[in-house]
Amino acid sequence: MPIMEHKSMAWRMSVNERKFIETALASDLRVDGRRPFDYRRLNIKFGREDGCSEVQLGETHVMAYVTSELVQPYRDRPNEGILAIFTDFSPMADPSFEAGRPGESAIELGRVIDRGLRESRAVDMESLCVVAGKLVWSIQVDLHIIDNGGNLVDAANVAALAALLTFQRPECTVGGDNGQDIIIHDPKVVEPLPLVIHHLPISVTFAFYNKGDIMVIDPTHKEESVMGGKMTATINSNGDVCAIQKAGGEGVMPSVVMQCIRIASVKAADITSKLKNAVEVYNTERALRKVKRHPSKMAHQVSVADITLEDKQVKDLPRHQAKMACQPYIGSSQDDEPKVDTRTSTNADGNSSGTHADAFVGGPSKWDPYPLRVGTSQVLGTLTVVKEEQVVSDDHRAVECSLDHTTTSSSGTVSVSDAMQKSNTSKSLKDAVKLKKRKKNRSSTTTR
Amino acid sequence: MNSMPSDSASMSFVDRVVVPGDHVLDLTGMANQTIKLGAGLRQDGDAISVMKAGKLRISKPNKYWVESSHKRYVPCVEDTVLGIVVDSKFDNFLVDIKAPMLGLLPVLAFEGGTRRNIPKFEIGTLLYVRVVKANNTMNPELSCMDETGKAAEFGPLKDGYMFETSTGLARMLLSSPPCPILEALGKSLSYEIAIGLNGRVWVNAASPSTVILVSNAIMNSEFLSAAQQKIMVEKLMKRLQ
Repeated sequence: MPIMEHKSMAWRMSVNERKFIETALASDLRVDGRRPFDYRRLNIKFGREDGCSEVQLGETHVMAYVTSELVQPYRDRPNEGILAIFTDFSPMADPSFEAGRPGESAIELGRVIDRGLRESRAVDMESLCVVAGKLVWSIQVDLHIIDNGGNLVDAANVAALAALLTFQRPECTVGGDNGQDIIIHDPKVVEPLPLVIHHLPISVTFAFYNKGDIMVIDPTHKEESVMGGKMTATINSNGDVCAIQKAGGEGVMPSVVMQCIRIASVKAADITSKLKNAVEVYNTERALRKVKRHPSKMAHQVSVADITLEDKQVKDLPRHQAKMACQPYIGSSQDDEPKVDTRTSTNADGNSSGTHADAFVGGPSKWDPYPLRVGTSQVLGTLTVVKEEQVVSDDHRAVECSLDHTTTSSSGTVSVSDAMQKSNTSKSLKDAVKLKKRKKNRSSTTTR
Repeated sequence: MNSMPSDSASMSFVDRVVVPGDHVLDLTGMANQTIKLGAGLRQDGDAISVMKAGKLRISKPNKYWVESSHKRYVPCVEDTVLGIVVDSKFDNFLVDIKAPMLGLLPVLAFEGGTRRNIPKFEIGTLLYVRVVKANNTMNPELSCMDETGKAAEFGPLKDGYMFETSTGLARMLLSSPPCPILEALGKSLSYEIAIGLNGRVWVNAASPSTVILVSNAIMNSEFLSAAQQKIMVEKLMKRLQ
């Protein structure tokens, strides 16, 4: 019968490696070429859905998912929501991880991250309350360890924070017939809300060697197998210590602990800025994605390219779009009939205005926002001129050319877009709107 | 899944990536020739089909095989590998060679080995060994002697640092003429290296910084071309000075 190896002994370290790592550390050298207080490269990515993040810290790979549901609150905290952290140490991450019940290190990791978020009140629990004593939001963070390359705590902490920062829960209001029903609004209809996060507790892990004399930050898997002790300090960028974890291992002097905390606060500031940048990029990209959700409506919106329109604007859009079709003929004649004739003749030529007519009928939009944005200022300027001279006629062709007061003037469309703008859009969208407003005003004044 | 009708057409598959199911050679036109098939190839009636994904290689006149790179090692006879001692039994050392099963190293498989001078290896000792028997149903058998019974550099490796790579990189490091990365590093640094076909590489040098430099350079050179490897080593040397 062949001799099989025992499962828990599947990864082995040779004596040579062990000795070498220790001797190299004595001369301040780490095996992967890093200096003792250097972090490995941190890479934060997000998934398609809100609240889904993937963090790579060197070889360590962790994913976090945040989900929410409405539950009854705990009896001793009727006004607060619930935050739960669940860790899944997948056996594909490390040969020593076993499927099924979480082992000691899995529970410890979950507890350290949970303490960092809960005790420091990083996530605002009271904003998660819907009906005090009856219904609150329960936020569950699932951490999946994909690859164990050492220092799981730090990577998992960053993943949890990234997921919580980008998570949005559905808006829910109390209403209904008796005023007691909870209505959860569909995220596609009502903008979901982000969580209120006051600060970002970042965990920084140190490994000790040689009876506490040597310490390094962010140990790799091999360094972790050789270390004498480990300490994790959770600090935010303001320098507040949120949590410290030192479970067993070599004893260290209190001065060493203080030095570690000082180093950790520097590193925490660095990681916080990286995290915030990544979340910012994701938020802008998500906002852009949301705006591009309605391509058929987009084609009609001439003034501001990146604002979604509500339904009441839709029926004005065909008219608005037809204004663009009328554009080359503005100023050529005063009444409808000859204008309409010339327009149809040029439609046959395959003018760009023809495409607008096509889009109006409901076919696929061939309208491209960016080149036309240059022309919109001119269009709007001319449109305002037309508005004063146009006469509304009765048949469908006239409908296309007629201008409606509520939507025609450039200033009118801007006010519409302002109204459309939701309070929680990101900074970049607001800037975009303001920019266009300035452009339109400038152009309208020049063409007049 | 196209079968190539002529010998010259099968040449078009050589040195190219093939996947399981490809028919690389049609035997209908080759009645009197013998063809030797190596790893990853199988005779399927009248055609030779591929079983493992990798690059098809030929050694003239008639040896074909598929070369692939993995993290796990499948033991083959006459391979030299680096093993780590896991346990010692009465007549065998149990040695881990990154294979599906533990290798067995007989306690007498050393030059001049008798029952009286059995070496004492503690758990975790790194050994340079040779695979003597490899069968996918039994534990592979190893030896610290070459065929003639001499020690020939086999045995425990002292000091130094060991790291793990893919089997493809290990084969590239062992190719002759010597791999560009090893030559370039050897021009400016002096170091000792032992390469196992199971993907384990041992490096030793006078100072730890040299060892770290050599090991990181080798790990980063897996997908670089010869020229890129030389450039990388030049850059590293410049940074040192």
